[in-house]
Amino acid sequence: MQMHAAQFPFLSTILLICACGLALVLVLPKNSNAAVKWVSAACSAAALALSVFLFVAYDRGAGGMQFVERLDWIPSMGISYLNGIDGFAAPMLLLTGIVFFTGVVSMWELDYRVKEFFALFILLVLGVYGMFMALDLFFIFVWFDVSLLPMYLLIVIWGSSDREYGAMKLTLYLLAGSALILPGIIYLAAVSGLETFSVPALLENASFSGFEQKTAFLLFYIGFGILAGVWPFHSWSPTGHVAAPTAVSMLHAGVLMKIGAFGILRIGMFLCPAGWMYWSPLMAVLAVIGIVYGVMVGLRQTDLKFVIGYSSVSHMGIVGLGFATMTVDGVNGAVFQMFAHGIMTALFFSAVGHIYDRTHTREIGELGGLSAVMPAASSYFIIAALAGIGVPGLASFWAELLVFIAAFRVYPALAVISVGVLVVNALFMLRVVRNTCFGPLSPRWAHLKDMRFAMGIPRAVLAAAIVFFGLMPFLMYDLIQTASVPLIHSLGPAIGHAGPEIVETLLTKLMSVWP
Amino acid sequence: MTDWILFIPELYTLAAAGVFFFFCLGRARPGRDYAAAMVLSAAGLVLTVCSAGFEGLIFEGVYRVDLYSQVFKVLIYSGFFLVVCLCADLSGVDETRHSEFYLLLCLCTLAMMLLASSVHLLTLYISLEISSYSLYVLVYLRRGSSQRVKPAFQYFVMGAAASAVMLFGFALVYGAFGSAHMAELMHQVPARIHEPLVFTGFVLSLSGFFFKLAVFPFHFWAPDAYEAAPHQVSAYIATASKVAAIAILVRMIALTGGQGDRVAWVLIFVSVASMTAGNLAALIQKDIKRLLAFSSVAHAGYVMIGILSANAMGYAGAVFYGLSLMVMKFVCFMVVVKASDGGRNIDTEALAGLHHRAPVLALALLLALFGLAGIPPTIGFTAKLLVFRAAMDQGLLWLVIVAMFNVVISLYYYLLVLKAAYYTESEGRPREVALSVPLKCLAGAMIFLMVAGGLWPGYMIVLAESMTAGLLP
Repeated sequence: MQMHAAQFPFLSTILLICACGLALVLVLPKNSNAAVKWVSAACSAAALALSVFLFVAYDRGAGGMQFVERLDWIPSMGISYLNGIDGFAAPMLLLTGIVFFTGVVSMWELDYRVKEFFALFILLVLGVYGMFMALDLFFIFVWFDVSLLPMYLLIVIWGSSDREYGAMKLTLYLLAGSALILPGIIYLAAVSGLETFSVPALLENASFSGFEQKTAFLLFYIGFGILAGVWPFHSWSPTGHVAAPTAVSMLHAGVLMKIGAFGILRIGMFLCPAGWMYWSPLMAVLAVIGIVYGVMVGLRQTDLKFVIGYSSVSHMGIVGLGFATMTVDGVNGAVFQMFAHGIMTALFFSAVGHIYDRTHTREIGELGGLSAVMPAASSYFIIAALAGIGVPGLASFWAELLVFIAAFRVYPALAVISVGVLVVNALFMLRVVRNTCFGPLSPRWAHLKDMRFAMGIPRAVLAAAIVFFGLMPFLMYDLIQTASVPLIHSLGPAIGHAGPEIVETLLTKLMSVWP
Repeated sequence: MTDWILFIPELYTLAAAGVFFFFCLGRARPGRDYAAAMVLSAAGLVLTVCSAGFEGLIFEGVYRVDLYSQVFKVLIYSGFFLVVCLCADLSGVDETRHSEFYLLLCLCTLAMMLLASSVHLLTLYISLEISSYSLYVLVYLRRGSSQRVKPAFQYFVMGAAASAVMLFGFALVYGAFGSAHMAELMHQVPARIHEPLVFTGFVLSLSGFFFKLAVFPFHFWAPDAYEAAPHQVSAYIATASKVAAIAILVRMIALTGGQGDRVAWVLIFVSVASMTAGNLAALIQKDIKRLLAFSSVAHAGYVMIGILSANAMGYAGAVFYGLSLMVMKFVCFMVVVKASDGGRNIDTEALAGLHHRAPVLALALLLALFGLAGIPPTIGFTAKLLVFRAAMDQGLLWLVIVAMFNVVISLYYYLLVLKAAYYTESEGRPREVALSVPLKCLAGAMIFLMVAGGLWPGYMIVLAESMTAGLLP
């Protein structure tokens, strides 16, 4: 792995911004709600700006790890503070930045224990950012846990239906995941015989035997897979999402589930390629079961948040399927899907949260005709639904396309099943949209006002991101490509079923439409 | 004659015990007792810290003063001092008994200091007995309730039985080697650990320390004793006493040189059994002190992982674990003492609304609970990382996974306590939790220690490693 040291520690600056925001929120006096919100918004805007900058400034020609910064932390155990981003991490930082900012603005109307909410929220984001940029196993684990723990309090204090159950279930499930990850990490560090926890160092100097890789990969796959919503470890996710307050659902479904997938990618697939190869059929089967299961259970749901929760399970299944193909396209698609799904789900939860705040119900049967009174809110809801279906022109279309092109080559039968199921899902989502936004307007909702302009900002940002990357997918594709091609090539000729050629020509043709 | 200098902290503690002995003879004046205890324990702590660099062998080789023992003495003394800090409201103990309370606490501390330095089986036995006897009485000192008799008696009987078994084990070891000097045993035990006589003697002699640490088959006294004892005594048992037990257990296991496979399996069994039993039993506890008692049993299991790994990292991990346990358990007991009314026992619900009744205390509790659950970035995580890393070097992946799932189980009851403190709103007007300024500073220091131990543990790890370096062959 090529390492390019940073001229300026941009990555740590992001963490520092979050840490300063957190400290500021904590020292503000108890009743200064407005100040707390403004500080959080400023902090999230700054973090977003830096994330966008890093996304753009990442040198796509050079590839490898960039903006690398390093500091010895616990030398006696070989632990170092090592950050860096590659083509996989840069989109995730952008995603985190967008969801962080929009999440903060979405919670502008909060008035119960405001200071504590934003403090925990920023702490959570700090963990997420750290996790995406860390290259040291120790720090990856630390950030991973930092991003999970505030969740319990966030859901239990500010949540809605069945929150105590949802919060406890979510926390225990995710911590059960970390109960596999930590042994896996220590196992790798111990069997490598090197006194180091650093991923690049292990990648370069350690040679793990096949058995070690299989064992470790399974630990990481299940451990991180719980967070990524892999069937059958997904059941915390719908209940948790339903119980959580809007911004937390956004961040959780939008970003935290990606941490799980990213962990599989960064630790499992980078360090244990033989294990990845060995378990990939299992991954593919579980992923497709997840896709089918998520859609089928989603069909029976009447609560909007449950609908999104289960569709997240099936969308994360697409990510898993992409990883399981072990091809450049598959991995590209999976990472693209992580980004697209993150933005899309955040928009979905944000729109539903807004509707719920007004109507105090999320039952599809009770809603209806909302587009008449709330045209802006409904349109965001519809954009999210269309993105969820994978309509061309929106970001998730490209992601799903890439994954399925790869999957048809490697696992044709599984690909046919999942595409078929996704068509059913499309029909169902359209019906949800019709029942919520169109049809006769219930007199109960006739008095509702539409979204204020300020409240529309976060939704507009999210919708714009979906459309932007839907129209210009190559911006994302080129970036992910810089990381996925070396990864697949490092597997050797035996694996890596196909190169990026087919999709690349496809994209080139499409791009030629642009002047 | 210069050798006596090495013994100064112990002599000082003995003198402090003498002071309280004279207080016992006069009229009860709780205020004076408390002030004297504060001053004497603080001065003693300073003295112990100053003596940290001492090194030598005294009393004809039965008493060894080295970095290992001195740091443990500092830890034990800090435990003593911290517990005394909680004694401003000693309403759990009858006022006429306060000076006796401090006297026994002093004696117990002295005995544990002796324990940390003992390198002869007899010194070991005697100091262990002195500390145990002080604790038997301390548990009984609870004011009023007649409930205290049974647990205190039970504690005594079990302790006596455990020490009898231990003595039998010592006898066997002595019979096999003709020596009770650890320095001599250290050279001979590793080669002969597979002999039935040596193996039996050795395992039996561990029982006394298992009892002290409340490891699985010897833990039944813990919940009852914690519940029945005054809060401060429970805190003392959970902090200083555990540290001393870890100190001596590490010394004993180091005797085998890490060669005994069968010894390791015995230890693995008690480790898994005690973390599982402790965690499962803690799930259903209502009384916070019982909950903490069972969590101590579980933590004894995690400590055992480091000890049974029998390598440098494992011993260092066990020592570090002792330190982290002391800090985290102390914070929990500080909350118990502050939140309870008149020294009565409290349920988890009594913490309701703690986050606005005492924000600093609530934050400290949050960190302590996360630390006990081994979640980064707290001191408890570093401790777990060290012992797990040590076990992994011995190829015990499955043991680490079992331990981690135990951690998840334990998280459930820690979260319930946390929920009470942060989420549940108290009904009616809750009792104010008044935190004096020094106590606030103490809580702040504990918060700092817990976070620093998670973020910058480098220094402490190096210290723990250099302490235990002498134990390895």
